[in-house]
Amino acid sequence: MSIAKFIDSVKESLGLDEFKKKGKKKSIKTLLKKLEDRREKIQKALGKKLDKKEKKALSEELDIIALHIKEGEKRLDRFNNR
Amino acid sequence: MLKKIFLPSILLVLAYGFWISPDFKEIAAGVAIFLFGMISLEEGFKAFSGGTLENILQKSTDRLHKSISFGFVATAIMQSSSLVSVLTISFLGAGLIGLTQGVGIILGANIGTTTGAWLMAGFGLKVKISAYAMPMLVFGVILIFQKSKSLKGIGYVLTGLGFLFLGIHYMKEGFEAFKASIDLASLAVDGLKGLFIFIGIGILATVVMQSSHATIVLILAALSVGQITYENALALTIGANIGTTITAVIGSLSSNIDGKRLAGAHFIFNVTTAAIAVLIMDQIMYAVDVISTSIGIAEDNHTLKLAVFDSLFKIMGVVLFIPFIGKLVSFLENTLRSDSSKGDKDIDHALYLNDSVLEIPATAMAALTRETRHLYDNAFEIIAHGLNLHRANIVSTMDLEEVIKVSYSQNAVDIDDFYNRRIKSLYGEIIDFASRAQSEMTPEDIESLYQLKLANRDIVEAVKDTKHLQKNLVKYSTSTNEHIKEQYNTIRIGLAELLRNIDIIGTSDEEDEIILLLSKAKVHTERYDILANGTLDNLIRNGLISNEMGTSLMNDSAYAYDISKKLIAMAESIFIDVDNKMILSDEDVDSILEKKDDQ
Repeated sequence: MSIAKFIDSVKESLGLDEFKKKGKKKSIKTLLKKLEDRREKIQKALGKKLDKKEKKALSEELDIIALHIKEGEKRLDRFNNR
Repeated sequence: MLKKIFLPSILLVLAYGFWISPDFKEIAAGVAIFLFGMISLEEGFKAFSGGTLENILQKSTDRLHKSISFGFVATAIMQSSSLVSVLTISFLGAGLIGLTQGVGIILGANIGTTTGAWLMAGFGLKVKISAYAMPMLVFGVILIFQKSKSLKGIGYVLTGLGFLFLGIHYMKEGFEAFKASIDLASLAVDGLKGLFIFIGIGILATVVMQSSHATIVLILAALSVGQITYENALALTIGANIGTTITAVIGSLSSNIDGKRLAGAHFIFNVTTAAIAVLIMDQIMYAVDVISTSIGIAEDNHTLKLAVFDSLFKIMGVVLFIPFIGKLVSFLENTLRSDSSKGDKDIDHALYLNDSVLEIPATAMAALTRETRHLYDNAFEIIAHGLNLHRANIVSTMDLEEVIKVSYSQNAVDIDDFYNRRIKSLYGEIIDFASRAQSEMTPEDIESLYQLKLANRDIVEAVKDTKHLQKNLVKYSTSTNEHIKEQYNTIRIGLAELLRNIDIIGTSDEEDEIILLLSKAKVHTERYDILANGTLDNLIRNGLISNEMGTSLMNDSAYAYDISKKLIAMAESIFIDVDNKMILSDEDVDSILEKKDDQ
């Protein structure tokens, strides 16, 4: 066994790379879940009767959250494809 | 003077010893290899201190019993109470744990060191451990040459253990050979006199070797071949425990106030415990005999009995001290105060930056992040007062329209004076510390450090921009011209909203809320572009404001825009986890603004 292979097997057996990757993936997944919940709440709120200012603020929030979710999904895909 | 003579004297004594006795040379080489092993082991564990260790430390020190358990487990695993002490001082210095938790960890670490005696007495002296040393050294050195930080760490740990084992082997061999020529046991002294002489030797040996662990291993090695008596070994162990605190006290002289307090706690704890042990020596020895018999240790197995004594003596000390930890902490905080002679008392200085946190890159980074927040807190005060607003109102739930109605002062506050007292030196200290911390860091750490430096620069520039903004803001926000007044109050509301949101971000744990607030702030910042949104043209064309007012408004909107941009960039750096940096890009902001215009 070459040194490189030996090192790879040590890394693999200790799960050093996977551990880090899993942590990051989990953190993005949790954030995405929170954002989706928030989006749902805003959508529900927008269905109710609101004044113009409130409606404008919520719509703006909804647009921002949609962009965040899109970016989060992209990042998750990048992790999965690595 | 004493310091200058100390090292040459030790070297001379050793050289003379090597000349007259090859066996002494072997024992000394064993000690040297053992100590080198400890350095290597510490280096190895430091490689892992970038995340896991900190997470465990932070989560397991919120209660006293947890702190003690953490100190015990960490020392038992790493076989080095000094590394645990360094980490503890580092965390204290970075403000991540309090002194009470720190003292708890030190108490636990004291018990943790007893595992070394158990391993050595139960395993190290009976098995030929040098046989394990060689493969460990070979594997360890191969791994040390690898690029990966984790593999390097494993390499150092293996090499450290290898050297520890090899050191123990040489000490044992040396004492066995030594026995053939000189019988140290013949020099044994009985009674109270012997107790104090050997306590003194234990102190001296530990101060010279800078490690109580090494002293205890040496005592066990000498005891196993009958070179010292059991009673004298007990006295040496007590001495080693006092000696280790002297080492810590000497080490803390160059450390910050937290390091000094912790070393003070360690000293008081160990010396008091030693004094009690001397007073009730007979009773402790009787208890050791009872415990040893009950767990099946033979009457003449003095090495294991010494391990029992070491454990009993230290556990007794911890149990006796637990009720007084609160008092000990208050006593240390009152007795050892931070150096107030650091120039002008009005000038704010760094709270978390000190040499003790430089030791570990992760704590250096944590301290810098906290200090950046400290700098921001000062900047927040200056910006709020520059906008003629009360800080308390900004962070309250009060409507922002109401917030701007309550002025902080009738006159413009002196931002230059504020800047000189609260920002300038602090910023200088942060930059100086960051430069020094960099030398110990990996390229990834250096990149994060660079981001922190940028965040600090952003804060300082935001304060400078506030100074420029303030001149007209105070004048026009109370102007009789309602139009210019409205524009300047819009700027005040906008910046107050941003400061409020950053305050929420700084205290929130909800990452979705944090990124949402920052993204919103980014969108709202665009409101200051009064040229693009036509506000300025409209006001001038309709003769609502004078040309002079128009120029001022244009310049000040640009300042407000810059302040917002810088504070958002700063918040992004210090409040958001690198993996979750999902703040809107400029294109995203444009797309939201376009959508708004269409509505």
